[in-house]
Amino acid sequence: MAQALSPEPHSSARQSRPGWWRTARDFITSYPYLIPVLFFFVGWQLLPIVQSLRLSFTDDRFLDNQAPNWIGLDNYRTAIQQGLFWQGIKRALIFTAIFIPGMIFIPMIAAILVDRVTNNKVATVYRIILLIPSMIPAPLIFVLWVWMYDNYIGPINYFLVDRLGWFDLANAPLWLENNILIYFSIAFMEWWWGLGYHTMFFLAGLASIPRDLPDAARVDGAGEWRMFWGITIWRLLPIILVLTVVRFGSAMAVITEYIIMQGFDRNSSTYTWTMYMYDEAFRTGQQFRGYAAAIGWLGALFMLVVVAFLFYIFRSRD
Amino acid sequence: MIASHVTTQMTTGKPAETHHRKRRIKWGTVARHAVLILLCLWVLLPLAWVVLLSFKSKYDGARRYIWPENFIDPIFANYQYILSQPRAVGPVGAVTTNSITVTLLTVFFGTIAAVLGGYALVHLRTPGKVILTSFLVASMFFPTQVTALTGIFQIQQRLGFINTTWALMFPYVALQIAICVFIMRGVFQTVPQDLVDSAKVDGASSLRTLAGIIFPLVKNGIVVVVIVLFVFAWGEYLLALTLMNDASKRTLAVFVANSTGGVGALDWPRTAALYILAILPALVTFAIAQRWYMKGLQEGALKG
Repeated sequence: MAQALSPEPHSSARQSRPGWWRTARDFITSYPYLIPVLFFFVGWQLLPIVQSLRLSFTDDRFLDNQAPNWIGLDNYRTAIQQGLFWQGIKRALIFTAIFIPGMIFIPMIAAILVDRVTNNKVATVYRIILLIPSMIPAPLIFVLWVWMYDNYIGPINYFLVDRLGWFDLANAPLWLENNILIYFSIAFMEWWWGLGYHTMFFLAGLASIPRDLPDAARVDGAGEWRMFWGITIWRLLPIILVLTVVRFGSAMAVITEYIIMQGFDRNSSTYTWTMYMYDEAFRTGQQFRGYAAAIGWLGALFMLVVVAFLFYIFRSRD
Repeated sequence: MIASHVTTQMTTGKPAETHHRKRRIKWGTVARHAVLILLCLWVLLPLAWVVLLSFKSKYDGARRYIWPENFIDPIFANYQYILSQPRAVGPVGAVTTNSITVTLLTVFFGTIAAVLGGYALVHLRTPGKVILTSFLVASMFFPTQVTALTGIFQIQQRLGFINTTWALMFPYVALQIAICVFIMRGVFQTVPQDLVDSAKVDGASSLRTLAGIIFPLVKNGIVVVVIVLFVFAWGEYLLALTLMNDASKRTLAVFVANSTGGVGALDWPRTAALYILAILPALVTFAIAQRWYMKGLQEGALKG
């Protein structure tokens, strides 16, 4: 940050002013630019976060038309004793563990391959095609894959049953109904969706490797494999670590996928803590928003602890 | 490639091995393109399947086989049906207007906020830069959309924005503002501070510097921000579903996602046609802006 501030041209004239004056001047000249950001960020990001924290200590029920009472940590106590909550955390964790490796390594491989394509036009075509899914509205991605996985009209099972003859209609894999298979089915969809976008991150990382480094290694007789483990992977490591943390955050908090693909079925593997929160807040009973907020906060705290832990181990390895 | 090839020959002095190496490199190229083409097929085939479905007749659309016995006649009939009789398939017209409104508002205000904010965080003497930046970073690791959903609902409710579609832009911009500011910050950092300072010496105000000197240099980065906001707003589901009780107040993406039963007026081929129409705007935007988008990404948008 500090190096971004270069010496002020008329510093001698400014030095006669006291320090607070300079700060006030800087404040007046810079903060108008930040008003829009602060308006949205404070109004619809910070405020909702604080608001939901406050809710989580109350017995606020949306439909009972009564003023909420402060009940302290009761909601948290109830949630922690619920098997459903912990099951929700567990399901989210299993999905995340399946999801992250493919979301990191498939794009990494794609990027390494695209990076080596010498013809610029061909390389651009690859990039554009890979980026197409990231331009499709999220819910429509999920609709598309509901079709893909469908046992009757879905093309995947059509190939497995009618073309390859590996299964018949009775024992064909039910990609979204089987409670174990569904983790992989949804993860596979997410890889499809994120492939191009994540490839771009790795391409940016690869572009920062000085060109003479691989050339020199090649002169020394290093094969592709050794070059990857010797040079490339170390240059890409920061990206891998950042993406791991970021994708951990998004995978643990997945909800739209689950709503569209499975709905609110408590027995499905997709009924994670986010679904539990939404179910309690907007669907069931008197819409117990206070309790739902507590579930949301417990989930968020759990995630933040893991993220802090990830930062800690990644930092110590640097 | 050629240079290193020659060097290898010179250092080892074994032409036979060079020949061997040459052949291996060629195999590598073949394998590389084979894998990449496979990945591209993986991306394209599901979409091609939907396009094909949108041209099928009602009968073929409900069958297992992929290639239809009969295409619908005329070939664009399913699209025509959606476009000419939107009433028959529910509030398509209304939700499309809603989507356009909220997307344009989100893109407009989000881009302005991100450009001005990124500029202030890089090129101005902004007190509290570090605190602001760390708040924005922290927000990216917090599951706001889930955990604060109850809070967002309360705030919108107090402002009277439940069932007010355009007001979705407030949480939309807020949820994307951190990432957008960071994209712009990365791009602004590629603009030398000297350029900003010399403009200041020449007596240009900071706004003038931004509009006249910096803006042309960060255009590509702005394209990236526009596309990020566009894709998000056009495809957001959870908030549009939760904050709008009335189905006709929701957005096109929610409508399409919720109307896939494959029966009645919306049989599978017509649903597929609606689907293609719903994903086209973002794809067309991308196709038009693709060149600047790629440049923007390379110019530091990904450093954020």
